[in-house]
Amino acid sequence: MKFALVGVGGAGCRLVDQILQVEQGSDRSFSGGNVLAYDTDKSVFETLDAVPLDRHVLVGDTHEALGGTGTDGDIDQAAAVAQEDRDELHREFDKLDLHEMDAVFVVAGLGGGTGGGVGPVIVEALTSVSELPIYVLGVLPTKAENGSVTLNAARSLQSFVTHGDNTILFDNESWYDEESPLAEQYWTLNETIAQRLLAVFAAGERQSADIAENRLDTSDVMRIMETGGVSTLGYAETDVHNPTTLFQRLRALFRNGEEDTTDAIRIKALVKEAAESELTLPCDRSSTERALVVLSGPPHLCSRKGFEKARQWLEEETDTVVVLAGDEPRPTADDLRVSVLFSNVTTVPRIEALKEDAVLTETS
Amino acid sequence: MGRKPPTTCPSSRPEVETHSPLVCEQGIANSLPAMKLATIGIGNAGTKILDRMLEFEYNTDRNLCRHALAINTARTDLAKPDFVPEDRRVLIGDTHQKAKGHGVGGDVDIGADVAKTDIEEIRRAFDDVEIHDVDAILVSAGLGGGTGSGAGPVVIDELQKMYDEPVYGLGVLPGKYEGGRPALNAARSLQSFVTNVDNFIAFDNDAWRMRDQTIEEGYEDMNRELATRIVTLLAAGEQDNTEVAENAMDSSDIMRTLNTGGVSSIGYASSKIDEEAGLIGKFRGDVQDFDDGATDAAKIKGLVRRAVNSRLTIPCEVSSADRALIVLSGPPETFARKGLESARQWLEQEADTVEVLAGDDPRENASELSAVVLLSNVTETPRIKELQSQAVDAQEKIKAQDAVREQEIEELITDDDNELDPVI
Repeated sequence: MKFALVGVGGAGCRLVDQILQVEQGSDRSFSGGNVLAYDTDKSVFETLDAVPLDRHVLVGDTHEALGGTGTDGDIDQAAAVAQEDRDELHREFDKLDLHEMDAVFVVAGLGGGTGGGVGPVIVEALTSVSELPIYVLGVLPTKAENGSVTLNAARSLQSFVTHGDNTILFDNESWYDEESPLAEQYWTLNETIAQRLLAVFAAGERQSADIAENRLDTSDVMRIMETGGVSTLGYAETDVHNPTTLFQRLRALFRNGEEDTTDAIRIKALVKEAAESELTLPCDRSSTERALVVLSGPPHLCSRKGFEKARQWLEEETDTVVVLAGDEPRPTADDLRVSVLFSNVTTVPRIEALKEDAVLTETS
Repeated sequence: MGRKPPTTCPSSRPEVETHSPLVCEQGIANSLPAMKLATIGIGNAGTKILDRMLEFEYNTDRNLCRHALAINTARTDLAKPDFVPEDRRVLIGDTHQKAKGHGVGGDVDIGADVAKTDIEEIRRAFDDVEIHDVDAILVSAGLGGGTGSGAGPVVIDELQKMYDEPVYGLGVLPGKYEGGRPALNAARSLQSFVTNVDNFIAFDNDAWRMRDQTIEEGYEDMNRELATRIVTLLAAGEQDNTEVAENAMDSSDIMRTLNTGGVSSIGYASSKIDEEAGLIGKFRGDVQDFDDGATDAAKIKGLVRRAVNSRLTIPCEVSSADRALIVLSGPPETFARKGLESARQWLEQEADTVEVLAGDDPRENASELSAVVLLSNVTETPRIKELQSQAVDAQEKIKAQDAVREQEIEELITDDDNELDPVI
């Protein structure tokens, strides 16, 4: 899939910058440089390495309240300024070659004043000018961040989900290491997000790509995302030199009543591992409406039977009938990777907790 | 343009009246030219099957498919065929908002919509098909995806309007393991296919799933098995008259057997020729060898029985067949008329029908003797029943999810007392 990346706010811009660095350092081409970085704080632009200067868009610098130094976490003010400057924000979209794109990702931290306030305005603006699906890649704050951040996130979540076509979330609370300062972990956390996002959305965009037998077409991905709502990503990988364990073989033997090949066992085990891995947003998997699974690795190791069984298992596990599967051949790779997208998950404890904390802040 | 010829009987076969198989002694037909086919593969699976058919033809010196056309909604998949010429590949839906040359995401309704929108383009692709030169049209498609299942019936409907020649369907049913959505696509599409084609030859992925394959090898082996059966059957009797035996099969017999409409199944068995002895040597496959003392006639009867009792393209109750046909293909010196006739009589009893035709397909240089059995209009096929109930379950689940989707999303993002307001 080809998609434009639009970062909004400090977290969003840095994440876009990092995804772009991954693209530039790989043989994949998905954004083709179709990026924009919006912020109210011009100091954020100095931290960007890959987003070119002409794609930095300073929002609201002529407004007294902002003046190019950020929003101080006031999402209502940020949203109001963005609405006022709507035409200017729009004009920047012309820099994106949307005709060449299949979708747009608006990337933002939901707790930030700019991400949470300007972000939804940009999503709304994009949906009004383009027929493309406008997806959101959003980051939820940690519990330790102050109450207004949580309140921002809970409120902007409503706007992102309502105006965007699907919102993929990454929960910092579930992923960050409490032992060290959050600010020092952004790079690692962003790396995880980029890896998971690209494993699904940039599958098949390798320049020297072999044609996948069971290729995941862009339409397949879009069909899974079509549900709207909130979505989450799982991932697992294994070294191809890693043999399947005796335990895995025995388990497969007893479950199926017939013995599978070791390749089949390995693929099935890996899909399970990905589905049961820590998701970008932990949730009850059976609440998902549609799911997608991508297998990437050396073609000779991609057992069809193993993958079929894994897909069937996932369909039963998620209790949904729309589970699409595709592969991405990488002939010279020495690892196998499986990514899973759960689309429109509706039982999400972390969101319930976030809303509760937000209500407390709002009513206190 | 060759459209709408005045009669249903191609003018190149004047003898068809006098040599009608109905009047043939013991139902064994006389020689007539073999079938000439226009073939269309739709979607990924349909295109791959077509490609394997062309490959088998090429490898065995047959000349059945006079025209080949591949139609798909995914640009990348159209790059795959080895035998379908590049100028015979048509991309549809590249301007469709939901397809854009990227496939239809397994959505049968979008598949149908895309084909309807681009019907002019599809029609144009038939402009260079000299329909006087073909006896029938075969459309191959997978029924579980979105393109074959959705665009297939639209194309067939158009072909039926344009031509008087019979249009046959060759459709792959998804396996149970492929899940609810493909089952729903297939169950819906099957209705449209069977209603619109003159006969629908079904292939059941479940019955043919093999072990130890990689995704890359994919369904190649299964597609080859299917191609072998369909081409051996339909190309029967194409050798020139000097080689034709008196029992030779011809296209009118095959078309007559297919005339029933409905769903059909094909059985197949082959055995390697022992070159030194010129007799049937070691039999291939999972069935045991015959006694060394068996006569050629007994071996031929055994081969036909094995064809029926082996994996059929779609497992079915043989006795539910309306008509049946046996083609024995191989070097003429291995043919034994008595064997074929007793095989025919045996099948007449098995299939519980008097309409069983049998004929030879002499192939001087063939290294195998093979028997193909066509069971036409079989009405008891457990997999189709199972597929339909799987589809009903899937449809209910999808409807139930659709019904609560908006509400569940709303509940997820808002708090119970509506204390929290959206930003915009």
